[in-house]
Amino acid sequence: MKREQARRQRRGRLMIVGGVVVVVVLVVAAVVVAGLNHKTKGATTTTASDAVLGQVTSVPAATYDTVGLGSIKDLPPTINGDPLTADGKPRIVYIGAEYCPFCAAERWSLVAALARFGTFSGLGQTESAPEPEVYPNTSTLSFHGATYTSDYVSFSGYEIQDTNHNTLDTPPADDLALLKDYGDKNQSIPFLDLFGRYVVQGSSYSPEILEGMSHTEIAKAMQDPSSTVAKNVDAMANVFSAIICQSTDGQPSDVCSSAGVQAATDKLSAS
Amino acid sequence: MSPAPRSLVWASFVLAIVGLADAVYLGYEHGSGSNSLACPETGHLNCTKVTTSSYSEFHGLPVAYLGVAFFVVLVLAMSPWAWASTSPQLRWGRVALVCGGVAFAVYLVWAELYKLDAICLYCTGVHIVAFLLFVIVLFAEASRVPEEEP
Repeated sequence: MKREQARRQRRGRLMIVGGVVVVVVLVVAAVVVAGLNHKTKGATTTTASDAVLGQVTSVPAATYDTVGLGSIKDLPPTINGDPLTADGKPRIVYIGAEYCPFCAAERWSLVAALARFGTFSGLGQTESAPEPEVYPNTSTLSFHGATYTSDYVSFSGYEIQDTNHNTLDTPPADDLALLKDYGDKNQSIPFLDLFGRYVVQGSSYSPEILEGMSHTEIAKAMQDPSSTVAKNVDAMANVFSAIICQSTDGQPSDVCSSAGVQAATDKLSAS
Repeated sequence: MSPAPRSLVWASFVLAIVGLADAVYLGYEHGSGSNSLACPETGHLNCTKVTTSSYSEFHGLPVAYLGVAFFVVLVLAMSPWAWASTSPQLRWGRVALVCGGVAFAVYLVWAELYKLDAICLYCTGVHIVAFLLFVIVLFAEASRVPEEEP
């Protein structure tokens, strides 16, 4: 009799526990499903404005020369990779993403430097991801859909995701292998392989220097050698230019022999 | 009080050890969190972002270290020797622990999905272990019946 009663009580307890577990599962499922659908929308990428591009791609030589190495202390490390080439020209591979604030910062320098050796078309204009991403809404350009033509150097730029983490570009396996072979364990972005000789992983300066600035304000600040933006963005453009000049036998000479690029070349040689 | 089913006892012990190993790894990740100016290429799956976020601390204490302490206590409470005890304090303490664990896990999942927009798979592993321990402990305790007096 007692045993039967105990058995009934046990069955009752198990049913209560089962009910509690079901309730907890439903609560967790509701949190997860609603959370996965909860997204803060990021900026939409548009074609870069002519005014912004006009300034970024034609920073006066005098500004670059005055800035020199500016605030840039650490130069990209060298690697012993296979030479990267395309169409007989040394090649640069960039892997980044539009949501990434560090990519957002680095692109300004890269575009400015490459514009000294060739011409971009189809560059986008966007912002890095909104909060909770660090350095949210950093104004930037985008390589997605852009093409680059140059007599001196080839450039492959991939933006693997947009501001909302949707897939954009899928780098070919060979280029993705560079990130795996020469990148860190997190395969962090931005990642740059310059001709198989230098690697840049992460931004060369903090996106904080661009905080709260519009595209127009950044482009304008790049013209002023005394600005914090120029001391970082233009200075890194000098470093990129110096690296490119190493692979082009110093061509074009007006760029490669300029004081700003020479300052970076000297530092690269010394390091 | 009759003993808890052996299968549940051992399952809880093994799970607590697995949870402890995962928590120790997360504690290490928190301590060595990268501050480099770079984004992991993994997008939403981003342990570094989670383990170095403002939600990685609870009232000033690193959540990762709280997790290690929590699982150390759980390993002791889920050991077959602890299960053999009929102490009401230990039994209710164990139930309170797993209830607290699953409630905190729900809070952390909420933070990941709503505040950080990033998921840490290792954290998710800990949350799943906490939930399974919650289920096992409740069923194990509900299965126990008072011993009949001679």
